Amino acid sequence: MAHHSTQVSSDLIWEIARNQNSYLVKRAQSGNIQFSRDPLNLTNVHSRKNAGFVNDKAVGVVPAKDGGVTLITKKVKHPQRPASHSHSTTLSGKKSTRKTYKTIASNTAKSGYRPDLRASAIARASAIRKSQKEPKDLPESKLRGAKAKKAAAEKEE
Amino acid sequence: MASRPTVTILKADGSASGATHPLPKVFNSPIRPDIVQTVHTGVAKNKRQPYAVSEKAGHQTSAESWGTGRAVARIPRVSGGGTHRAGQAAFGNMCRSGRMFAPTKVWRKWHQKINLGQKRFATVSALAASSVPALLLARGHQVSTVPEVPLVINSEVFSGAAIAKTSAALGLLKSIGASSDIDKVKKSRKLRAGKGKLRGRRHRQRRGPLVVYDPEVDGKELNLAFRNIAGVETSSVFALNLLQLAPGGHLGRFIIWTSAAFKALDTIYGSSTVPSALKKDFLLPSPIVHQADVGRLINSSEIQNVIRAAKGFSKTKRAGVQKKNPLHNKQVLLRLNPYAAGYSKAKIGTKGLEAGKPERAAGTQFAKVIKED
Repeated sequence: MAHHSTQVSSDLIWEIARNQNSYLVKRAQSGNIQFSRDPLNLTNVHSRKNAGFVNDKAVGVVPAKDGGVTLITKKVKHPQRPASHSHSTTLSGKKSTRKTYKTIASNTAKSGYRPDLRASAIARASAIRKSQKEPKDLPESKLRGAKAKKAAAEKEE
Repeated sequence: MASRPTVTILKADGSASGATHPLPKVFNSPIRPDIVQTVHTGVAKNKRQPYAVSEKAGHQTSAESWGTGRAVARIPRVSGGGTHRAGQAAFGNMCRSGRMFAPTKVWRKWHQKINLGQKRFATVSALAASSVPALLLARGHQVSTVPEVPLVINSEVFSGAAIAKTSAALGLLKSIGASSDIDKVKKSRKLRAGKGKLRGRRHRQRRGPLVVYDPEVDGKELNLAFRNIAGVETSSVFALNLLQLAPGGHLGRFIIWTSAAFKALDTIYGSSTVPSALKKDFLLPSPIVHQADVGRLINSSEIQNVIRAAKGFSKTKRAGVQKKNPLHNKQVLLRLNPYAAGYSKAKIGTKGLEAGKPERAAGTQFAKVIKED
């Protein structure tokens, strides 16, 4: 523990901030579902496991500026120093997705940092990479029916 | 606690000055959002000004009820004729231009008395919360660029009215990494919904950092420097206010301390054993739970030595997995029937019967007895 006060722990922070925090999105009209805007939250679900600002160790995967994803992990050592408290690696969009996933898995799960977040970290990276793809054009609509084909043929002449 | 934690004192450019100061004891006081919230709701009421509707409103007419028999309701009606007002209902709260229900009075109970002990508890609790970066983030402060929390700036930076101009103050905030919090405040400025616009509360915006200083050492010029920066507030360390330390009753205000103010905290609040020098009969409250890390508590040797072994099997049943068919999945079959291994090894299932041909009944003793005449 490196917090100045020994009474401060992630358990205490969670109990203080679970009902009200700046990342929390509560929507009554959506069945009281609770989401989180925390960049260190992989699933965007407001929960103890995923709350990045609460836990001593947390993983974030965010889209990088020019394609690819940025992997953010929290440093455990100095929680009182926010500016030097996180570690980020950018995995280029030119890299194959498999290599990206492998890097994320080895950095988060294999090293024993947060093995429970492996699947959600990779899923998030995958979704981000998919969203960065150029969307394919819609296929040209086929002519349906003899009438339409005839009209098109006439138009061509 | 092995050694008392220290806090770096920063220079004007945001780098460490080399000097440190031991963390004042007030930051170890218990963080109690429940107390802060109740005290905040009380204290927030103490700045209100009385208001009420006019005593005469809705009663400035000589209306009388027409009684029964006129096929109209028995509500008082305005007497006379010649105008549209005559014959209209009056006085009732359901009437147009009637008096409101339970007209507001200036002698409403506007102010709340909060016990001094509670107010002090809430203040030290809010101060303790201001030293936890996670709670600052939860309150919405943009502190991810700030070198350290609590953020202490050397008082030399302010000495001789060095920070008396807004540009100097802005430069200081920028160099210590607080500019993103200022930008957040600036962007948040919105027109207020409703009548508050007309009542001196035209805009609403977030709160930025609170600059806490010691007026004797730092002077009061920094007030002028910071007052026109949106969201930034200043406060003397001797007059800290819960409304500023925990706006909205939410813990974790971003506080920028001058080193003189930071050093004064131990004399102002004392510790849990040494009474405060400035507050009468005040000892810092100490937290009931000193180790709040539940995982560490559970795994501590004190707990692990006295708990009994877990009941049940060492292999727990996994929930929500597909049931495997033991006829197809050999491992599952072996778990259910350990004999299956030997059975398949000895190929008992494929072996035929070795009994040979069954004995015919005709040659047996039984047949002889039956056929005996």
